[in-house]
Amino acid sequence: MSEVRKLDLAWFGLVLLSVGGAMLGGGQDHGFGVTVAVALVMGLKVRIVCGYYLELPTATRRIRRAMYTFCYGMPIVVILTSAFGDILARVTGALL
Amino acid sequence: MSDAAIALPHSPPAEGPPPGSPIPGGRIPGSKAMWVGIFCEVTEFALMFAVYFIARAHYPDVFHAGPEQLSLLAGTGYTLMLLTSGWCVARAVHSMRANRQSACLRWLIGAFVFGTGYPVIKLFEVRWNLAHGLNGEAGMFIVTYYYLTFNHLIHVFWGLLGMIWVMLRTATGTYSAEEYSGLESFAVYWHTTDIIWLMIFPLFYVLR
Repeated sequence: MSEVRKLDLAWFGLVLLSVGGAMLGGGQDHGFGVTVAVALVMGLKVRIVCGYYLELPTATRRIRRAMYTFCYGMPIVVILTSAFGDILARVTGALL
Repeated sequence: MSDAAIALPHSPPAEGPPPGSPIPGGRIPGSKAMWVGIFCEVTEFALMFAVYFIARAHYPDVFHAGPEQLSLLAGTGYTLMLLTSGWCVARAVHSMRANRQSACLRWLIGAFVFGTGYPVIKLFEVRWNLAHGLNGEAGMFIVTYYYLTFNHLIHVFWGLLGMIWVMLRTATGTYSAEEYSGLESFAVYWHTTDIIWLMIFPLFYVLR
């Protein structure tokens, strides 16, 4: 498959994931499972942009590590703060 | 910084693996200066996301009800505009690599049109928000929302200005298949701005 074709498919996949992700969470009162699903969709979309648009696999190790830490860290933080929000509130409340 | 990275500060080498495939040591897409700016941008937004998560932990009920107040249609519209604009930019870079300057310019114009859709939607959304009483005194969720999204809007404006610059440079034949580091630097900035929006969107419009 040509590089250009991959870019087109990546865009199509991102559009589907965006619409699907919006439908997943929008308008419904959801629990932890949906939060995890939304975080996974976020991580997948970011991975596609990093891989095909930003071309991170060809970048230097430092750039790759820093960007992947940020990009994959966010969905993990979404899940953790959803699961342990009360602990975060207690810790930050004591600090602030 | 590795020797390989220092030796390849600009555009990809004329020979070697195609873009997208792993390269031992790697290269710096665009320029070092742009990556310094990008890491500053990422750090700035990481701090703002930390504020969001702490606020969410302290006001769970407010953040639970928050997304219902905003327009999911507008949020999805921003996402589609930015993703399509980013796709056009990626195609523009590939066109330049193939030494097709006119195609590159057409893709950049397309990217600009879709990119401009973002502030246009923002204008309508803010008017809609204010008509529904969602101003700076509407609670912690809305304040955090305005703070983060307006910061992102500023970065989009910077990107649109940069896009005008690279369009002019492309139109005047400054870039070539051998030297297009300016175009690629802009592209990595625009894609990073895109990535940050992909994080903001679910936090404010989807997650409850």
